[in-house]
Formats: sequence, structure tokens, C-alpha cells
Amino acid sequence: MRYYLDLVEYLTKSKSSLIPLTPLVKGVRGIVNRRPNYSNRISYHQIYFFSLLLLTLIACDPEKGAKYREQQAANQAVEVNSDEEYVMVTTAVNMPLYVNHDQAAFKKWGQRRGVKTSILGPSEWDVQAQIATIEQVVGTRPTGLLINGTDPAIASAINKAVEAGIPTVVYDSDIPQSQRHAFLGTDWYEMGRLQGEAMAKLINGKGKVACMGILGMTNMEAGFQGLQDVLAEYPDIEFIGKYDDKANVEEAARITSDLISANPDLAGVCGFDSNSGPGIGLAIKEAGKMGKIKVTTVDWEPEHLKLVQEGVIDLLVGQKRELFTWYGAQFLFDMVHQTNRLSSDDQAAGITNVPYHVNTGLLTITPENVDQFID
Amino acid sequence: MNRASILQGLQDRVVTLTLTIVVMFVVCSLIWPTKFPTFDNISLVLLNLSIESIVAVGMMLLLISGMFDLSVGSVVAFAGSITAYLMYYYGMYTPVAILVGLGLSAVIGLVNGLLVAKVGINPLIQTLAMMGIVRGLALMIAGAGIQNLPEDFNAIGQTKILGIQSPVWFMLIIVAVFSILVARTVFFRQFYYIGGNEKAANLSGIRVDRVKIIGFVIISALAGIAGILLASRLGAALATSGRGMELRVITAVILGGASLLGGQGKIVGALLGTLFMGLVSNIMILARVSGYWQEIILGLILIVAVAIDIILKKRAGTTPKKYVQQATSIASPKQVEA
Repeated sequence: MRYYLDLVEYLTKSKSSLIPLTPLVKGVRGIVNRRPNYSNRISYHQIYFFSLLLLTLIACDPEKGAKYREQQAANQAVEVNSDEEYVMVTTAVNMPLYVNHDQAAFKKWGQRRGVKTSILGPSEWDVQAQIATIEQVVGTRPTGLLINGTDPAIASAINKAVEAGIPTVVYDSDIPQSQRHAFLGTDWYEMGRLQGEAMAKLINGKGKVACMGILGMTNMEAGFQGLQDVLAEYPDIEFIGKYDDKANVEEAARITSDLISANPDLAGVCGFDSNSGPGIGLAIKEAGKMGKIKVTTVDWEPEHLKLVQEGVIDLLVGQKRELFTWYGAQFLFDMVHQTNRLSSDDQAAGITNVPYHVNTGLLTITPENVDQFID
Repeated sequence: MNRASILQGLQDRVVTLTLTIVVMFVVCSLIWPTKFPTFDNISLVLLNLSIESIVAVGMMLLLISGMFDLSVGSVVAFAGSITAYLMYYYGMYTPVAILVGLGLSAVIGLVNGLLVAKVGINPLIQTLAMMGIVRGLALMIAGAGIQNLPEDFNAIGQTKILGIQSPVWFMLIIVAVFSILVARTVFFRQFYYIGGNEKAANLSGIRVDRVKIIGFVIISALAGIAGILLASRLGAALATSGRGMELRVITAVILGGASLLGGQGKIVGALLGTLFMGLVSNIMILARVSGYWQEIILGLILIVAVAIDIILKKRAGTTPKKYVQQATSIASPKQVEA
């Protein structure tokens, strides 16, 4: 019995222990000393100590201990104040694409870091209301601002946040004319080019191609331009126009079936918003043109992946949306806490200690690799 | 003041809304003493509602005569886009471009008015069709948006007078001018007569068609002013701006005391309605409540406001059933009390 107690005491004193057991051991040693004669019988105390020993041994698992120490060290390096509040301002705040990817990652980040996260913005696609929200949020002095770069017109609101001394990161599409501290996202022009090149390959460089998305939105217009620039390099491809599906599945389906009836020889359709793909797919299935009309589109929601599996969509261009907001928030955190400090006080010195421009890259999903993206 | 006169006062939405706004202001000042009642926050709230308030003044005037216009949001985008387009691509002088933008907006109103008054198309159908046409035009003109507008143009919406940005002053002037016009001139009183009973107004010698056409021209011109101010404030013309504005403006105006039946409402009610909605939106942001709750809450507030109306009107002799019947018979010929 004594032996076990000594062992337990020894183990609990070791630095890797999770549970402060020393007082317990002392107390129990007193009981054991009072009743030495019970040592030849298995008592409740013994059972208790065996289990305690086992527990301590588990607690002292070297690998676990190491991990814990590492975590502790990381937490000690930056003092996190739970009052810190990181605010994301977007527009169309309940769009499934945003909720499932951007916002989910941002919330998860906040939980891991132990800081507050808030998500604000109008429920409609309303840039003016997003600007109004940013300006009003600035007045409430959040710790950091993560802004969805929806339109160049939000530049002056971003500048107000920066001038108020709030770390400000833009994600998704860049607002280069603003004074934002950092940007993480993708280049929409590249997304258009990627679709154009894939489409040209799919239709062997000839035929009629149309595209759809939200007309008038800066990032999508850049995407349309990228697509058109690539298609223009192929003399046998006829670009028949860009159409406004208003990010609406029914509208995208209607446009596609109109295009099919107006152009029986339609070779391909490209989509640029998250509802283009499901809409185009629906119309093509209804018209029985699966495989005959090639489809490339953006985003990789479950319905998109299903359409790829069914052979309706030939290529998906996906953004790594989770990375925008996770690392965007981390950039804000690193600015606030001066992780990787470059001067004695970076904010005072006017230095930004995070990367200025990050391209989070694109991923392409085809029938060949689609299974890897389905849980 | 006795109970009867208090009750009578409470039937005026301007009075109840003002009281509500004052209460909201006091409560929020207590909850967020450092964030809410600051000069910066309040001037920002006013700035953000200024554009919609200017349109709301026109909507109030139209609703007084029993009509409404759904194309205003598109006109806001169109006016900003065409003005920016002329300046950016044709180097047109700022004042000339603004006049062209305003003129074309007024023409849209004239077309709406002529087709509604002379041809007899229902205002709902006419302005719904116009909403699509004008949005399409704005998209064609501005595409992905026009940035880098001339400095003198941007100055119009970005200048500060007494620390408050100019759109707020434009809004206050427009509300004041129209309040005086509606309260003091015979011509604008005609809107009430038409809204009250169109047939009677016609029989009593009011040129109903002409008044209707002018009503549509005024709201489109005001939407034009709003659109140009918005483009100037943002330093960019967006083809997507003003989306959904028509419904927000109609909500604000109904909150401000207008009725879909026509015949009632005050111009200052339009400002109070947008002010109320602007404050609700500001409070949501301070309380960190996200966007869709805002719409749910505004919807609930609208229902409550109309319900209170029904209760107050019931005391004045209108049964709830009659009220609902009247309120839902927008498209049918008017059989409302004069």
C-alpha cells in the first residue's frame, strides 16, 4: 500500500500531471498509517488507489502531456481577452454559401480562440446597406473588422474603419482602392479564365457558349470578362451572351431552357453564382440534353456535387471560402496582438504585420475527383 | 387634457411615431450611453436614411392620392448611372449631366403617369413593368459600376455643413418644402381629395388625370435626386443600388401614417417612418443582431402599427373587418368614405 502511495505521490509531483493530487495523497496516507493491519486485506481504499493510480498514469500520458504543454505555451504567448470582438460585415447575410462556409469557419475560429465573433449585414444583396452597417459598426469600436469585398463602392467605408484605427481585412474580392490592411480571396477574372479554358476543351474548340450570373456585380463582371477573353481566342466558338439569373435557381433554369429552345445547337453554358449551377442542371435534365451540353460553373455545395456525379455538370470551380475568413480573422488577431512584431509598436509605426494580399487559390472538381469531396 | 382628446391625438400616427422614437432614443441612450447618443452615430443614422427619405416624400404624396410607384428603386440606380456615364465616358460638365439625369428620371415618371392616368393601366402593373425596364437600362449603362467620378460631383454628396453630410440637408429641405406645399397650396390639397374619393374629386372639377401625372413625375424626379446624391456620396454609380427600396419606402410611409387606401398621411410622416426604420436598423447593429432578424422585426412592427390603427379606428366606428376589406382592396375601384 505504501509503495503505491509513494508512487502516486511521486507521479503527482511530476510536472506532467493534470490533477493536483498531493493533498489527497497526504490525507489518505494518514488513514493508512492509522490502520496498518488492514494491509493484508483488499480494502475499498486499495480499490480506490488502484483506480487513482490508473487515472494518474493516464493523466501522465507523455504524448498528451506534451500536447497540453504546447497548448498552454501557445495560450500564454498571447493573452486573449474574452472581451475582444471580431465583426464580420457582409451583404446577403443568409445566403447558404456564406452561412455554410464563410460564417461557419469564422464562428469556429472565434470559439477556438475564445473571443467574441459577430456577423452583421443586410439580408438582401444591398451594397448600400452593407456600407451603412460598416459605418455604424465602426462607431462601436470592435477589435477587428472582416469585410466581404462586395463592391468597389465600399472603399470609403473601409477607409473610415482604418482611419478609426480598427484592424480591417477584406475577403473574397479585393477592394484595391481602399486602405484595407490585408486581403484574402480569389481573383474572379482567373475564375472566368479557368472556366473558359475548360469549356473550350470540353467542346473541342467550337460551338455556341452562353454564361450567366448576377449582372452588374463587379466581381462577376470580372469573371465574365475572363471567360470572354479566353473564348475570343477560339475562332470557332461563338459567345452568345451573358444573362442575369439574379442568383435564383428558377431564373437560371428558365434562361437555360430559353437558350436551348432558341439554339438547338447550344454547346455549353457557364455559371457564375452559387445558384447558376443547380438552375442550369435542372433545365438540362428536363430537356434531356445531359452530356450534350457541357456545363462549367462555380461553387461546390452538395447539390452541385450531386450534379457532377450525375454527369450534368462537367466542371466546378470552387473557392476555398473557409480559408478567407479563418485566416482573415487570424490576421486581425495577429495585428491586434502584434504576433510577429516588426517594430516596437507596429500599429504606432504604421506597419502592418500580416501579408498584404493573399490568393487563397481555386480548386477544380470534375467527375474524376468528385467522390473525394463528398462526405 | 382629457382622455378623449388624448385618444384623438393618438389617432394621429405622426404623434404616436414621434413618441415611439423619443422613447426608443431614451432607452437606447441608457443602454449604450457611449455608443448610441453620440453625434457621430446619430448623424450617421440620418445620413443613411436620407436617400430613402427623399424617395419616401414622393411615395407619401402618391399614397395620399391612393397610388404608389414600384419603379423608384430602379430609378435611383438609373439616375446615378446615367449621370455618371455622361460624365465619365463623355466628359460632360457635372451640372449638365445632373440635369440630364434628373430630366430623364422625370420622363420615366411622365410615362408612368400618362399610362396610368390616360390609358388606365393599374399603377401596380405599370410601375412593376417600369421597374424591370429601368433596372435593365441601368445595368446596360453602368455594367459593373462606374467609379472615379469627378471631384466636383463627389463634393455634392460628401460635403459637410455643420458637421453633417449634405444628403441630410437635402432631405430636410425636401421634407420642409413638400410639407409646406401640401399644407398650404390648393394644388397639393387635390391629392387628398383624389385619395379620398376619386369620383367625387372628378365631379367637383379637379383634373384628376393631370394631378396623377404630376404625382408620378414628382416621385420619379425625387428618386432621380436621391440616385444622384447616392452616386455622389459613394463616389460610384452602381446598377444594383436601390434594389428592394420600393418596399422599404412603402413600409416606412405606411408606418408614417399613410394608408394604402389613400386620402391620409402627412409629409413629415415619411421622414418619421424612415427615421424609425433607420433607428431600428442602428439598434440591431449596436446589439449585434444580424440582418434577417431586422426584417422579421420590421415586419412585426408594421403589423403591430396597423393593428393599433384598427383598434383606434374601431373606437371611431370602423369595424376590423371593414378596415381589412378596405386595406386589401388596392386594385378595386374606390368606395371609400370621402
